[in-house]
Amino acid sequence: MRFTRDELKRLLLPVLIAAVLAGAGVFLLESAGEALAAAERELAAAQTERRQHAERLARIAEEEREVKQKLDVYQRLRELHILGEEQRLEWADAVTRIRKERELLDLRYRVDRQQQLFSATGKPANVDFYASRMSVDLALLHEEDLLRFLSDLRDSGNAFYSVRRCAVERTGQAATGVSIAPRLRASCEIDLITIMDRAAKS
Amino acid sequence: MGPRRILYFTAEDHYVYRAQGGSLELEAKFTGDDLGVTAFREHLRGQRRALYAVLADLAGEDFHEEAIPYLRGADRDAVIQRRLAQRYRDTRLATALSLGQALAGERRNERLLLTSFTNTQQLAPWLDALEEAGTRLSGVYSVPLLAPALAARLGVKRERALIVAATRAGLRQCFVDQNRLRFARLERTVEMVPQALAMFVRSETQRLLQYLVTLRALPREGAPVQALVICPPGQRAVFEQALPSDSRVVFRTIDMAEAAKAVGLKRAPEGTAAEALYLHLTARKPPAEQFASREERRRFFVWQLQRGIVAAGALGFAGCALYGAAQWLAVIDTREQAAAARAAARQAQQQYERITAAFPVTQTSTENLRVTVVEFTRLARESALPEPAFVHVSQVLGKFPQMDLDALTWSIGRPAEAPAEKGKPARQGDLAVIVQISGRVNATQRNDYRAITGQVQSFAAALASAGYQLVRTQLPFDVTSEGTLSGDIGTGPDTGQAPRFTITIANSLP
Repeated sequence: MRFTRDELKRLLLPVLIAAVLAGAGVFLLESAGEALAAAERELAAAQTERRQHAERLARIAEEEREVKQKLDVYQRLRELHILGEEQRLEWADAVTRIRKERELLDLRYRVDRQQQLFSATGKPANVDFYASRMSVDLALLHEEDLLRFLSDLRDSGNAFYSVRRCAVERTGQAATGVSIAPRLRASCEIDLITIMDRAAKS
Repeated sequence: MGPRRILYFTAEDHYVYRAQGGSLELEAKFTGDDLGVTAFREHLRGQRRALYAVLADLAGEDFHEEAIPYLRGADRDAVIQRRLAQRYRDTRLATALSLGQALAGERRNERLLLTSFTNTQQLAPWLDALEEAGTRLSGVYSVPLLAPALAARLGVKRERALIVAATRAGLRQCFVDQNRLRFARLERTVEMVPQALAMFVRSETQRLLQYLVTLRALPREGAPVQALVICPPGQRAVFEQALPSDSRVVFRTIDMAEAAKAVGLKRAPEGTAAEALYLHLTARKPPAEQFASREERRRFFVWQLQRGIVAAGALGFAGCALYGAAQWLAVIDTREQAAAARAAARQAQQQYERITAAFPVTQTSTENLRVTVVEFTRLARESALPEPAFVHVSQVLGKFPQMDLDALTWSIGRPAEAPAEKGKPARQGDLAVIVQISGRVNATQRNDYRAITGQVQSFAAALASAGYQLVRTQLPFDVTSEGTLSGDIGTGPDTGQAPRFTITIANSLP
């Protein structure tokens, strides 16, 4: 069937109406689809947020117990100045004082440059562990002198003293009644460990 | 839906009915002569693009059964047109109704009922008037064409039935078989009392049945045929009394009001007879088969196309709107879920903050507190003091007075760094306190290898206790098969130097 020009004209308006209706329908679908996608994204974000908060809340009891348990150690580290900057003058004073108090015959030491042991990941900042190696040479009358020296050093604080090596050997000098001669020599290597907590409040 | 107008065409007078919403309204009446045509043209003025249908209720309607080869599409149309042209001189108002397929030997045929008016000229000026007025002609129907639809509405199943009704034109009888029209006739009537009309119905029904048997449209012997008689309003009792059933026909009567209700006709003008039922069906449910040509129905077709296009657009929009509405419901539901999740997150956050507010005050974050203590504890665990090792060595030495120590080296390291004692592998990789002892064996003759070796081994075994493991023993003499054993027994002077040994022990850090 062939349409005349007049008939085609008559069909034009219905075609336009149908096209507008179809276009409106498609627009409606697209806008609904976009809104649904946005709502689904919003829901996913909200669910993630809820899950994270719920997990954190579930962990809180454990966290509380952990904080209470670890706080004592942390406070002790602060009191001993293990946490914080190196106290090299305090170390020197401590060695001098120990030598004097323990009447050590000969004591030589050297503290090397500070080096980072490692950096532990924290939040909001890392916790850095540093060590300065101290080399000590001691003249001993008895091996007890060495143990007392190490004990005094440890008690002096200002670092955590981690003894890495101690060698004791005879000097070969015979004891005389005139002067006190050292029978033993000890040489030790000790790591003086300090901790820098970048998130700590001063 | 807008109003439809139906031109009811009888042999004498013609009527224009307006059908809308189940109601019929008589709009105009015209005589069948030229004056009537002129008046009709006048009536159509101002009704351009009005929807019209023609319902002819004429006596001169021919029905003829034919069989054609079973065809489809243009071939079928061409065959039908040829058969119509062979049968009727004027095919303007001729049509063919399919009666279904029939097998003739090997060949499959289609049975057709060809039908037309014996005098189409009486309709022509009226159809021309409709065309000239620019109306939309939906079709030209005859009352028999609508009979199957009426029969179905009145409860006639697929059996053979006669639909008998008195219209303005006369007594109309339509024979329907398997819901298809097979034959119809119109017998003119005059004004008569109900009893006389009922008797007339009876006699005409008997005559028609006889005729149908003659035509072989009905078997000579067989089940009685149902005759459904539509009685004028309030006259059903009279008809029932006058129409007793017999072996050939079973009369069933139905009141006009009841029939109107069954077809959905709510209101009909005063004075209309059973044609109101056919008029209503023409307006509401016209059959596909009708007499008008494609050209005569062109305006109606374009109008249908217009409505179809808009309807398709509306349907598409409605579909999109429905789907979109479902999507929006999902959006609302999803947003509600998101709001609920956010509220739950906020609640958990507030609860967390309440709990953390009651925490002991720390100078750092919880995470840093944990990291600091954990890492420091690890470092402390990897450290040790020399004192316990010194005490251990001192206690063992007390049991071996012949041993004289020259040097003792205490260190933290991995035992793997020192060669392991044969048969006693040290635990590789673990940090341990390593003690290396160097000394001499006194009070034993230097050349008594066996005794010296035995004492050193006893000493080493004593050191390997209290958690310490023997890592390495270097004897004064190499007694292994890989080494060189030498001796100078009794010939040379004794140097006085006691044989030296080295023992390494290790104790793993916890």
